[in-house]
Amino acid sequence: MKVTSESLERTIEELAKLPGTGRKSAQRIAMYLLKQPDDSVYRLAETLQNLKRSVKTCCICRTFSDEDPCAICENPKRQNGQICVVEEFQDMYFIERTDEFRGRYHVLGGVLSPMNNIGPDQLHVKSLIQRVNNPEEPVTEIILALNPDAEGEATSFYLHKLLQPFEVQVTRIAYGIPVGTDLEYIDDATLSRAFRSRSTF
Amino acid sequence: MLIHSLNLRNFRNHTEKALEWAPQFNILTGPNGVGKTNILDAIHLLCMSRSFVTTSDRVLPNQGENWFELGGTFESAARSKFSLKTFYSVNEGKTFFVNDSPLDRLTDLIGRVPVVVMCPEDRKLTAEGPLERRSFLDGLISQLSREYLQNLLLYRRIRRQRSTLLLQDALRGEMLRSALEPWNVQMADVGGKIIATRALVLEHFAGYLEQHFKALTQLSLRPNFTYKTFMPVQAGQSPSEISAQMLLALDAAFEKEQERRQSLIGPHRDELVFYLDQIELRKYGSQGQQRLFTIALKLAQAFYYQDQSEDRPILLMDDVFGNLDSEKIRTLVRILEEQGGQIFITHASGSALRSAADFSMKNSVWYEVSGPEVKNITQSTS
Repeated sequence: MKVTSESLERTIEELAKLPGTGRKSAQRIAMYLLKQPDDSVYRLAETLQNLKRSVKTCCICRTFSDEDPCAICENPKRQNGQICVVEEFQDMYFIERTDEFRGRYHVLGGVLSPMNNIGPDQLHVKSLIQRVNNPEEPVTEIILALNPDAEGEATSFYLHKLLQPFEVQVTRIAYGIPVGTDLEYIDDATLSRAFRSRSTF
Repeated sequence: MLIHSLNLRNFRNHTEKALEWAPQFNILTGPNGVGKTNILDAIHLLCMSRSFVTTSDRVLPNQGENWFELGGTFESAARSKFSLKTFYSVNEGKTFFVNDSPLDRLTDLIGRVPVVVMCPEDRKLTAEGPLERRSFLDGLISQLSREYLQNLLLYRRIRRQRSTLLLQDALRGEMLRSALEPWNVQMADVGGKIIATRALVLEHFAGYLEQHFKALTQLSLRPNFTYKTFMPVQAGQSPSEISAQMLLALDAAFEKEQERRQSLIGPHRDELVFYLDQIELRKYGSQGQQRLFTIALKLAQAFYYQDQSEDRPILLMDDVFGNLDSEKIRTLVRILEEQGGQIFITHASGSALRSAADFSMKNSVWYEVSGPEVKNITQSTS
């Protein structure tokens, strides 16, 4: 095969490295970009550069943020003694969207998974313990909001155990039935878990 | 459950075939190596997501090709009709479609079309190690319970995570112990559920095995089995009780697990031992006894499924009749007629099968397979 444009080929190669993008999609995106007006493509390039330049990791909760500390960690109104522990940045985003939680967050940056060489040292666990120990902002409750799969469960168990010596209540979000769903369509495992974590009416 | 039609493209030696099936017996005869088993395997793959002949999908496309396609139309006992399709390519693997919409997870396929296979490979069930018997047991229950299948998959994942820890040189002693702990709790939780279900199902299943062995062989020998797990369990024992015991057992086995670097406690090491009267079948049973035992086991599976789900599984009998005397064949055919489900039978010699068994060809179809050609000879057999 003869490549007539080295730059186009290079772009396709780079795009194909993105998650969920194969070579074909990469080709389609590259062709699309090539046909766009110059300034819209430059804007995209600039946005990508800014992404790496200006997005930082919050030194307190380890989330992605333009400011360090992030807006939530800076906000005194969010100091209510609760810290919600999530796996990744986007989980925090989902919870924030509900407007249900008014405390602070802690992003672990993953979950325990020996198969992928991820142990406690690879996660933001030490910084969580430091926050629990911080006398300037007392913590009364740690809410574990990790995924209910094997790795999420193991991590929840590990954190629960780790936090036992501290004077802090450890809770977890409930397993339940999605809102707007008929019981008929719920799988057995979910339904029996929902039963076990039922609440008083 | 009925399969009405089957389309094969590039599957094994069949480049392009469309076959119609009958609600009772579907007989395929023809010389060795013409592709009778491949037709049964196509049905199996379409319903169970994998071949019963080979573990490698790569060898399934016709020679020189890198893809195959299978399609079928089905009708369940509740009279609902649906279609299944699968497309395989070497690069992208298998994709399944139900009524032309793609299936996200392969596990969603299992149990949709219940299938019971009898094939020459079944001799491993009585002749080889516990793995074969565990997969028989898991197949039996998974077809009936999605929760069980999900627990099996979850258990496998937890065990893999745990095994990785046991294999790490840097983790020894108390460090290893505390690293294992979060996984132990889950492994015991899921393991307890799996064991409780196995014990309960086997308790029911024993009666089915006994009944069908007796019907098939007319022997006074009593077939039975013992289910062995890490502790003595009773049918009906609560999963949480078994989980609690398993957690203690895991704790007690720590030193040994550390030394052997393996997960030593749990349902992945369960054993099912078959007996005829007091004689352990694997060690002392004759070949004939073992063969009859496995056929009875599979018949029991079909009948058990039928009673639990109010639908009949599709029975695939690959070269089963070739190894039986004519009286056994007649008895087996009679049992199958009574069962009333849809049955697929392959046999090398059409004339031998005809003289051995008196099939009522009502609601049945007979194909003579000769490589590229599959000829309907139902008319000339009735």
